[in-house]
Amino acid sequence: MTLTRLALNNISASAFRSWVIFLCVLVVAGFSLTITVITRGAESSLELASRRLGADIIVVPQGTEAAMEGALLMGLPTRIWMPRDIVTQVAAIPGVEVASPQMYLSTLSGASCCSVDEMFLLAYEPETDFTIQPWLISTIGRGLNLGEVVGGTYVFTPEGENIFIYGYIVTLIANLEPTGSGLDQSMFMTFDSAYDVARISYSRAEEPLEIPPDSVSAAMVRLSPGADLDQVADAITRAVPGVTAVKSPDLFLSYRQQTGSLLRGITLVMALTWVMAIVAVGLVFSIALNERRREIGMLRALGATRSFVLRSLLAEAGALGLLGALVGIPVALLGTFLFRNLLMSSLEVLFLFPSVTSILVLFIVGLVLAVATVTLAAFIPAYRVSRLDPATAMRD
Amino acid sequence: MRIAIAALIVVLAIGIGVLPQFTDCQSQGRQLTLENGRQIPMKCHWTGQAELALAVPLLAVGAMMTGTRRRETNRILAAMGVILGVFVMLLPTSLIGVCGSAEMICNSTMKPALLFMGALVIAASLVGLVRSERANYDLP
Repeated sequence: MTLTRLALNNISASAFRSWVIFLCVLVVAGFSLTITVITRGAESSLELASRRLGADIIVVPQGTEAAMEGALLMGLPTRIWMPRDIVTQVAAIPGVEVASPQMYLSTLSGASCCSVDEMFLLAYEPETDFTIQPWLISTIGRGLNLGEVVGGTYVFTPEGENIFIYGYIVTLIANLEPTGSGLDQSMFMTFDSAYDVARISYSRAEEPLEIPPDSVSAAMVRLSPGADLDQVADAITRAVPGVTAVKSPDLFLSYRQQTGSLLRGITLVMALTWVMAIVAVGLVFSIALNERRREIGMLRALGATRSFVLRSLLAEAGALGLLGALVGIPVALLGTFLFRNLLMSSLEVLFLFPSVTSILVLFIVGLVLAVATVTLAAFIPAYRVSRLDPATAMRD
Repeated sequence: MRIAIAALIVVLAIGIGVLPQFTDCQSQGRQLTLENGRQIPMKCHWTGQAELALAVPLLAVGAMMTGTRRRETNRILAAMGVILGVFVMLLPTSLIGVCGSAEMICNSTMKPALLFMGALVIAASLVGLVRSERANYDLP
């Protein structure tokens, strides 16, 4: 009888023990993979959202950094304003290649004029913009016309209907790639369209869209090649009073800290679960092997070496670990993928499902870890039983 | 193994029947208002009702699996499980669907839960089908 066949026969012979270990591995492997996918998904979403904005520095009115981060990250509607002149002042600072103004607006809540409830609207200036405009040129070959918008990945036009904003019909031209952030549920339009919506809103909407004259919400800054980020940021803060220059590495810092502590907590729970699983599998194996001493003694008396017995027991453990992981990991992946929106809203984290390559790597690592964990847990009881003298084992 | 598959299908059938009743938009007090002022349920509600109609035969399939050891019967029950599982997944996606907005509970909870449970029903039934195909005698 081969080692593998002996191991498989033993697995089917002691169904209860096999089920316990299988389920234990299934739960731990599935849970660990879910946590890993969420952690990696949160990190990649944050990176992608920062990259999508593409600015080295974002200049906002002092004290509105959190509101700006909430709008750009979670799509929370916000109204922050600063004089438009500030953009010109920022653009004149040495080291600044371009400064592009943006306006943060939102649709009304529960109003009949609007097809969407409190959606974050971002208006940009096509002449200076370096975030949306280049993407549009490369994707549809032109910029946006009056009344046209670009939506995040979740924005869609209902079948046979139009998208109304403050009673104004806008045309959805294209959708951006998913980022897992609030940008996925936001709309982007030009300054001209925003002013047109504001003009129309006074006659068609329940509440008008008010844009203060000569005001913008933020200025996106791209540095000249070779310019020092810290120096330019300091120069902006010194030269323009009443504003904060948020550097790209510090962007979403408070969110990073908040999410970081949450994810560290979850990872700690995962580590504890892993340790508990090792202990549980070790105990189940220990009890099962104690009951099988006669059987193992008989095997030894029939000529099986200590090494063969040890290897067959470890193969048994490894096979159970492999089976549990083979079921647990795909189930966890499927569940995480399907419930990603629910996870994002309940945990209040950004989340972007990892790429196929990352998933494959995680799958393989998960399988190896599961097999290694169960084999490790079973090693001590298996080693102890394999060392027993056949006569002693059968007599006990 | 046969009992484990049957028990899983029974649990999933109960979930498929019960969960949509609490996670459709109607259960959250949201309805469509027509121009004449009349309120009608959104389409996720009808998906929930149709899932209830699928859950009952699925429950019967699971219950019968626990009681029979005959290979042929198990094979037919497993095949039925696969077909019902496919329909559990088709109802919220292409046959009826759910509401459009990604933020609605039917879209964030009901649809993924039904797809997840449907996939598990198909996987469990396929395992049952393969086992009954490979067995040369009635199942233990």
